Amino acid sequence: MKVALTGNPNSGKTSLFNAITGKIEHVGNWAGVTIEKKEGEIKRSLSGRDTFITSVDLPGAYSMSPFTSEENITKDYIKNENPDVIINVVDASNLSRSLFFTTQLLELGIPVVVALNKSDLNKKKQTVINVVELSQKLGCPVVETVSSGNNNGMEKLISSVVAVKYKKQSSPFDSSGVNIADKREVEASDRKRFELVKNIVSEVEHRQVRSSRQTRQDAVDRVLAHKWFGVLIFAVVMWGVFSISQTYLGPLVADTFVGWIDSFRGWVDGLIGKGVSPVLSSILLDGIIGGVGAVVGFLPLIMVLFFLLALLEDCGYMARVAVVMDMFFKRVGLSGKSIIPMIIGTGCAIPGVMATRTIKNERQRRTTAMLTPFMPCGAKLPVIALFAGVFFNDSAWVGTSMYFVGIALIIVGALLVVRITGEKNAKSYFIMELPEYKFPSIKRAVMEMLSRAEAFVIKAGTVILLCNTVVQIMQTFNWKLQIVAQGAEETSILASIASPVAILLIPLGFGVWQLVAAAITGFIAKENVVGTLAVVYGITNFIDTEELALVEGATDVASVMGLSSVAALAYLMFNLFTPPCFAAIGAMNAELDNKKWLWGGIAFQLGMGYFVAFFTYQIGTLITTGALGNGLLPGLIAICAMVGYVIYLMRVRKSIPSIKIGLSG
Amino acid sequence: MGDVLLILIISAIVASAIAKIVIEKRKGNKCIGCPHSQTSGCGCGCIHSKLRTNKI
Repeated sequence: MKVALTGNPNSGKTSLFNAITGKIEHVGNWAGVTIEKKEGEIKRSLSGRDTFITSVDLPGAYSMSPFTSEENITKDYIKNENPDVIINVVDASNLSRSLFFTTQLLELGIPVVVALNKSDLNKKKQTVINVVELSQKLGCPVVETVSSGNNNGMEKLISSVVAVKYKKQSSPFDSSGVNIADKREVEASDRKRFELVKNIVSEVEHRQVRSSRQTRQDAVDRVLAHKWFGVLIFAVVMWGVFSISQTYLGPLVADTFVGWIDSFRGWVDGLIGKGVSPVLSSILLDGIIGGVGAVVGFLPLIMVLFFLLALLEDCGYMARVAVVMDMFFKRVGLSGKSIIPMIIGTGCAIPGVMATRTIKNERQRRTTAMLTPFMPCGAKLPVIALFAGVFFNDSAWVGTSMYFVGIALIIVGALLVVRITGEKNAKSYFIMELPEYKFPSIKRAVMEMLSRAEAFVIKAGTVILLCNTVVQIMQTFNWKLQIVAQGAEETSILASIASPVAILLIPLGFGVWQLVAAAITGFIAKENVVGTLAVVYGITNFIDTEELALVEGATDVASVMGLSSVAALAYLMFNLFTPPCFAAIGAMNAELDNKKWLWGGIAFQLGMGYFVAFFTYQIGTLITTGALGNGLLPGLIAICAMVGYVIYLMRVRKSIPSIKIGLSG
Repeated sequence: MGDVLLILIISAIVASAIAKIVIEKRKGNKCIGCPHSQTSGCGCGCIHSKLRTNKI
């Protein structure tokens, strides 16, 4: 038996899908999070031991006449895949808007069960819906559900689904005679449908709070979603999040955690003993355990951070951030919808880039896909945490400012794309239904945090482990496959590959092969920057500073790396704002669907990363030491070449004559 | 003997990592270990092709 879950965006379909299947699919407190269909088996405890029901979670849709690509997926699935039953998830707190789609679904003849979701919000607002009457008027079962938190009403919902299977579905509205090719006829039919919905709602719903009245939420929104206060509040909130996760609670847990990793390493060291080859011992201890351990050491910090971000999203705050940022993004030629991929991109750039497909305008979609990786994703957080901890005394401003630098680069990038493509800025409207403020679900935040932690550990145990092993081997041997002698590390395979690139990075303040090697491995996965630094500098953890006694002649990690704070900040920015990992570039390739845009995007990201790192290092060095940094002139030449090329692209576009075609009758 | 054992252990660890990557790729995961980065259940990119068809 196959059941399709469908309904308006942000009605809680994925939450309900998770509740009935036991899966942990990503949910968001705003519209447009689900862009693909997802399948799962409904829990046997709900469906009965002998009943196998497959549930399909579909992207949100307002109507059966698709307007966006994800609405197309929903329409195609329902019309072509013939589900046995449709669960229509209806936002109980917004009945009048939701029932338009419901009446369209009822016309298809497939049995429908209406899940009146978010019923708890109605109770708070003292809004009462007469479920029995609504069920009679629609001609299908209506079940009150709460899919977040307690998962109320799930048994009743699934038993209703089983009961209606193979039954004939009646409809309160009939549009079969409407000629869909005739726009006027369709509009007239839609007006009649709206009238029907209005009548049904007026008879079954009894509201205490009228929607026209200003509520406390509206007053809070006026501050949180204010054009300027909103930005300030966002900065303070992010600073708070980074303070808790990277200055206070995170390191507290991490200290204990890295102690365990060190103990494990010591135990393995003791087990191996002295009688084995030092090369093999080094691959296992320094490459595999040391490299992976250095990355995994940041796990507690990342977990705390994602827990806090999940709380912010669930309480409804992130939706307000989307509104604030939208005001800026729209002005620079991005779509109103561009903010959604960018917020999703703070978790991982890949789903962020994939989410751009909801944007209809091709130039805006491609620009968003190209710029989304500038938002620091989860993989970049260990790199931020490392540099904030080692060079800036765990200061929370480092992480916070990286988000704002990312936003600034997006704005600059969008402006440049508009200039280069020469396309006029199409006005786009972003209509986002702001979710009600609510106390965030701790359970949901914990689940999200555990899901991220699991992902982090899997990545550390696979991609990062392999990379560190290869890096360890490459720095142990030279091209003649001889073991590199101590003090002659620059003859290693790794050093010989990284050194030529290092010359180009002298103007940025970090032209040493070890740092370049780490930045290169970062293109495989950004966490690799931490792992590779651990391997090449022989530091097994970056959190417990007592461990540094092992590093001869150094008093702290900063002196092991030989970087000033300014150069460290430049290096951090270079890693964050140059192209993302290869997997994200693959996602960009799929979404951009154009090689020119892809290579242009990669070159732009590389240029921006270089540009930001160069000015950070040079200006920072001038401020802190009174003199300019190394390699100023070659760096300036490189920057001028880049800027010149961008200006050339703009001029080329301007010089192309526009062709006007006149039509005369 | 100790060296052989160590080579076997390292090989086993590396082989397990590669096997996990291959399994995840077959599941359609674009980024190993990144949550929510799956393209589709079948891993064939059919959603993409479907979208393109719709665009046309």
